Amino acid sequence: MNEDKEKIISEAVEKALQGEMDAINNIEDRVTRSKAKAALVKAKRAKAVNDEDSIKEDDTSESKVEEKINFNQTVCQKISEKFPESIDAEQNDDWIQVKPENWLKIAKWLKSDEKLYFDSLQCNTGIDLGEGVLESRYNLHSMKHLHKVEIRIKISAEKPDIPSVEQVWRVADWFERETYDMFGINFIGHRDLRRILLPDDWEGWPLRKDYEEQETYHGIVVPKVKEGWE
Amino acid sequence: MGVVHGQEMVLNIGPQHPATHGVLRLQVKTDGEIISEITPYMGYLHRCFEKHCENVTYEQVIPFTDRCDYLASMTMNFGYVVAMEQLMEIKVNDRVEYIRVIMAELQRIASHLLGIGAFGLDLGAFTPFLHMLRDRERILDIFEMTCGARLLYNYMWVGGLSHDLPTGFVEATLNFLDYFEPKVDEFENLLGHNKIFVERTADIGTMPAEVAISYGVTGPNLRGSGVKWDLRKDDPYSIYDRFDFNVPVGKGMKGTVGDCWDRFYVRIQEIRESVKIVRQAIDQLPKDGDVHQAMPKKIRPPKGSIYRRTESPRGDLGYYIESDGSDTPYRLKMRSPAFTALSVLNEIGAGWLMSDVLGILGSLDIVLGEIDR
Amino acid sequence: MTVDFLFDFLSELFADLVGSGPVLIISMLIPCLMLFGFITIYALIVIYAELKISSFIQDKVGPMGQGVGLHAGKWGLLQPIADALKLLLKEDIIPSRADKPLFILAPFMIFIGAFISFVALPFGESIIIADLNIGLFYILGVGSIAVLSLILAGWSSNNKWSLYGGMRSAAQIVSYEIPAGLSLIVVIMLAGTLNMQDIIRYQAGGIFSWIFFDNPFVPIAFVVYFISAIAETNRTPFDLPESESELVAGFATEYSGMRYAFFFLSEYANMFVVSAVAAACFLGGWHSPISGFMDSPAWGVFWMISKTFFLIFIMIWLRWTLPRLRVDQLMNVCWKVFLPVALINIFGVAIWTVIFNQ
Repeated sequence: MNEDKEKIISEAVEKALQGEMDAINNIEDRVTRSKAKAALVKAKRAKAVNDEDSIKEDDTSESKVEEKINFNQTVCQKISEKFPESIDAEQNDDWIQVKPENWLKIAKWLKSDEKLYFDSLQCNTGIDLGEGVLESRYNLHSMKHLHKVEIRIKISAEKPDIPSVEQVWRVADWFERETYDMFGINFIGHRDLRRILLPDDWEGWPLRKDYEEQETYHGIVVPKVKEGWE
Repeated sequence: MGVVHGQEMVLNIGPQHPATHGVLRLQVKTDGEIISEITPYMGYLHRCFEKHCENVTYEQVIPFTDRCDYLASMTMNFGYVVAMEQLMEIKVNDRVEYIRVIMAELQRIASHLLGIGAFGLDLGAFTPFLHMLRDRERILDIFEMTCGARLLYNYMWVGGLSHDLPTGFVEATLNFLDYFEPKVDEFENLLGHNKIFVERTADIGTMPAEVAISYGVTGPNLRGSGVKWDLRKDDPYSIYDRFDFNVPVGKGMKGTVGDCWDRFYVRIQEIRESVKIVRQAIDQLPKDGDVHQAMPKKIRPPKGSIYRRTESPRGDLGYYIESDGSDTPYRLKMRSPAFTALSVLNEIGAGWLMSDVLGILGSLDIVLGEIDR
Repeated sequence: MTVDFLFDFLSELFADLVGSGPVLIISMLIPCLMLFGFITIYALIVIYAELKISSFIQDKVGPMGQGVGLHAGKWGLLQPIADALKLLLKEDIIPSRADKPLFILAPFMIFIGAFISFVALPFGESIIIADLNIGLFYILGVGSIAVLSLILAGWSSNNKWSLYGGMRSAAQIVSYEIPAGLSLIVVIMLAGTLNMQDIIRYQAGGIFSWIFFDNPFVPIAFVVYFISAIAETNRTPFDLPESESELVAGFATEYSGMRYAFFFLSEYANMFVVSAVAAACFLGGWHSPISGFMDSPAWGVFWMISKTFFLIFIMIWLRWTLPRLRVDQLMNVCWKVFLPVALINIFGVAIWTVIFNQ
């Protein structure tokens, strides 16, 4: 009996690790069910200790994660070799934190270097991290080598200046205008920095966390409290 | 805009105009009929999508994504759901994956039909538009059978789908595909090989590959310029690696590589490829599986961020999601493909005649809802 | 014929009462009023035909309901009347910065231009309002009044889009009159006269004595004339001046209500005129295809109108099938293709006639 129960418990735990909680919930005997749940917690803890992805157990994803980690670190190292004092934070697995001053030169180098060849800027996101810190994040991608990297630049909300990279990747022209429109980040060297989605005479930077709508816009009252709108 | 010289005239196309695919204002500087500069002004349809998303839960974001590109809602949902599932490390079962692929490919066919039809309409061909809309109605009927909505579906949820397939879905879809496949040849002949259409679109609005990549143009617009880049093959998500399909690329059949005709032709070929994919998916569709199985009770992703791209009918749709561990997103940015496609209009449109510029705008197949969000 | 006939008839009755001046005026007025009535009825018919034909081509249903007897049916016959009523009842808006006298004048001028060319059209053996000696030449000449009025309309609207439309259409119509005229020279050469009724009488006999079959070069002339005629009436594929998707409504953007209706009424009237000229000159006019069969004066009206309607049907068919040509391609086709072809045609016809001595 016990062996059967052990088998049931181990099967149920296996299934639950893949996300199917029904296997455990369907066990009728209360004692067995609670034992299965305990075993599940233990198994999850064991996996977390192992420092690996919890879903895919096959080798390709492992090596991909390792490759990605290595690649990110490699790019980080290359940047800090070529442009000393440009990296803002310690080496990271997912992104590279760069200081704003040398950004234009770094961008030009990232695009033209043969081994890296990041010839397309996929997305530029602005983000308000709270406490007066803004960040601009760039997702770069290489169509030749099929690798990608994310670069983040932190600036303060009082003086949000980042060099513009619109000469390097032409797509940054409109992306930076949108980030300027929403966050107020000033891109130095941009040839035509003006609002893109909002009207030119709108006041304020909407996507900042401390944004307050203006009272009226050309005589139209901007509603603040939305009572009864549910 | 700077100084306007003696002969030049500054004209506004839009915001109310039959040919601008939405509410878009193009300010053009013209010298006689030749256009020297185009400046798009957008934002008429801005609905503060990104700010809204910071105040609603992750599930409640999905109807908002529908309304961004209202002509391809399924793929909008798909992109968001793929990004979220990668962030939360959820794996869905096969049935859900296959259904998602079927829906996304049917949506791609519907969106391309409308895009090509509107392109023909801009050039004065009134009839193909109506024929294509008639066939698109059948696809919308299939969608209505599944989830009750014709245009804005809210169908793909994080971890599953909102409804399972109804009975009769497989037959209806196969009937539609059998009816539809010869029609694609008819459309190609009626519009594509028509001498007047070819004269209006070949060698017009040529977009070289480097310009396209630099301006971030993706999707059929990029493939029309000869670059073989399709996210379903080059950066696969979901189960697209199980299907056998080609990626059509513009070859300059009627003019130079990257002209309006090539972009049109790539879309027609993509319709054929999507039909193939749907047939294969229906063949391989698993009979059982619960579509609500992997849906978490409460969506609370771990702290972190992700940027994930999927292939929408207009190009690379990217979602950048930053989560702070609560149940509302901290920052959600949607990288819309039509936004970058519109930015290249000045580059490829300047120097052509007025009628050509409207043709080029039509060949880029933009949707203002996605650009303005 | 008709005016002269009426004048003689009425002056017998009334000459001693009122003098021949008023009798002349009345005998001119009555046919014109009848003609105006004819044009109105024709406009209603052709609008309905266009809606129904376009819906067959586009796989739509077209106007339905409003059937005869006003119950729902498949016919929708009251649709054109409803359209006309709607246009009559619309508010008449004149933009404040528009040039008012010219703005008001333009639709009248274009309608006058279309109307007075009806006067020389032969409807039957002796049914023609004014049997001018230079009938064909008169029709071609009077049709150019349309150009002036289109430019007036575009300019006086004080709208850059209308200006574009007006300029384009002026260029287009003026250019396409040349191949049209040159193709008609072929007809004049063969028939030997400019008089419309004489041209038709020249084609007496069955179908093979029509000018169309006279000479292998004449079909080319017919095709050139027909396509130039489509260009002159601003129909697709040459409808750039009023292209919906580009210029909203081109030169007629600022017009509303009945003024707008005048523009489009005159477009349909022009279609009738050019089709009637083509039918009369190339396709035998009021002769029937089989001589002797249905060939009396009353049947003449039937043949003339059915040939004209057949050509109008082809024009409508082309509108819904083909996309639009761009301005420079339009000009290209006219000056680089049609003009040389028409000129060479004239020589071809002349040489053929001399050789075969017909």
